[in-house]
Amino acid sequence: MAASLVSPPLVKPKSLACPNCGAPVQLRGFAHTLTAVCPNCLSVLDATSPEFDVLQKFQGKERVQPKIPLGSRGTIGGVTYEVIGFQQREVVVDADFFCWEEYLLFNPYKGFRYLSEYQGHWNFIRPVSALPVETRHASKPAVSMLGRTYVNFDTVRARTSFVLGEFPWQVRVGDSVLVMDYISPPYMLSSESTDGEVTWSLGEYVTGKELWQDFKLPGSPPEPSGVFANQPSPYQGKTRSSWRTWLWLNVALAGVAFLFTIFSSNRQAFEQSYTFVPGTKTDAAFVTPTFELTGRTSNVEVAVHTDLSNNWAYFNFALINEETGQAYDFGREVSYYRDSGETEGKPNDSVVIPRVASGRYYLRVEPEMDTKAYTPSMHYDLMVHRDVAGYAFFWIAAVLLLIPPILTTIRVAGFETARWRESDYAPTGSSGGGDD
Amino acid sequence: MKNPLFLVYGVLVLGLSTFAQYRGWSFSRINQQKVLPKSIRDNPGAYRSTYGGYSRYIGGK
Repeated sequence: MAASLVSPPLVKPKSLACPNCGAPVQLRGFAHTLTAVCPNCLSVLDATSPEFDVLQKFQGKERVQPKIPLGSRGTIGGVTYEVIGFQQREVVVDADFFCWEEYLLFNPYKGFRYLSEYQGHWNFIRPVSALPVETRHASKPAVSMLGRTYVNFDTVRARTSFVLGEFPWQVRVGDSVLVMDYISPPYMLSSESTDGEVTWSLGEYVTGKELWQDFKLPGSPPEPSGVFANQPSPYQGKTRSSWRTWLWLNVALAGVAFLFTIFSSNRQAFEQSYTFVPGTKTDAAFVTPTFELTGRTSNVEVAVHTDLSNNWAYFNFALINEETGQAYDFGREVSYYRDSGETEGKPNDSVVIPRVASGRYYLRVEPEMDTKAYTPSMHYDLMVHRDVAGYAFFWIAAVLLLIPPILTTIRVAGFETARWRESDYAPTGSSGGGDD
Repeated sequence: MKNPLFLVYGVLVLGLSTFAQYRGWSFSRINQQKVLPKSIRDNPGAYRSTYGGYSRYIGGK
């Protein structure tokens, strides 16, 4: 019902002849139209005068083709609009021209709306009657309207460079206005100032794909290039969400590590003290008494505590299953040096052997030290623990869990940097724009 | 949930680290010899360790 109320009747547009070239000029905006442009010679005509006076003859070199043809009808937000006017506007920044296009939409019940397009980025714009209140946001000028704060993006002097169709104001090629854009994605609040008059309009970012569907246009819209001022970030809210997820995952990780600490049996299976005298003729290799490793297949920690000081030792170890002969062979170096309060290395060492099945085991130990005559003997303790809690994997997991939120944060920052690069507040090293 | 992929990734990381810890995985360099003769118990010097013959000086100042 509402849609039928706002859908304009398919009436035949009023048609007049251009006084300059005689071509027919159609008026779709009825009494609202103040200015019309001849589609043939592009003369700007006064639609309010009975003779259709020529206000301006086309002086340009190039005819611009609207991407949405005049007369196209599309339904946006349940309201059917007809494209009745088109203008191209430009700004000059550092001797570079930046152009964007504006389409005038008309619905006899709802009035005028606008579509703007710049490099594939579209905005659906409606005039606002409320007066925004000046404020500041993060050291930038801003305005506030209806509880939403819009941050100043740029201020440019825009010049109309091409017109086509009809307009409810006295349009001329060469018209100049001061445009101030304030953004709060996906919205953009813009003011246009001419002599003594300021008008405000509110744009909402829409995709070209949506508009092509709304207007049932053939083909596909131009691909968006870069990041537009009020383009919604695809990462909106994802930074906080990803860090929240990270926090919960770390809480879970800490919980699991805590459970392992509690439930790891950490049983001592063997402990014995030994002395090694370097340089003796006898074979240094020996085997320990047999000890029992019980429980499920899990790790075994072999620790060696020495009284080394300014010396080193090397241990060849083999943890051997008495019944099967299966051996876990490994070597450990222990060295400890200290001088003038500084130390290097440690007199103790340990190694965790993974996935050791239960059974009866013994250690084959073969210590080595410097063979110089003055090398003192070494006392050391050997300890074997079953099912010890380790945290290496949890630390690695904690680091791996950091990757997604950091990447998300970098992406968000990159998107916002690209957005503001085109503003009057471009980050250092970027060229400011003012080109929308 | 705005980060379903992150959640899946996180649960996988959490699960893998828990599994690794439960199975007693380790980064230690261990050379597992499959079968050793029982004579080693009586003559430990006859066995040549993979890591034996350590004769170079590594540590110290």
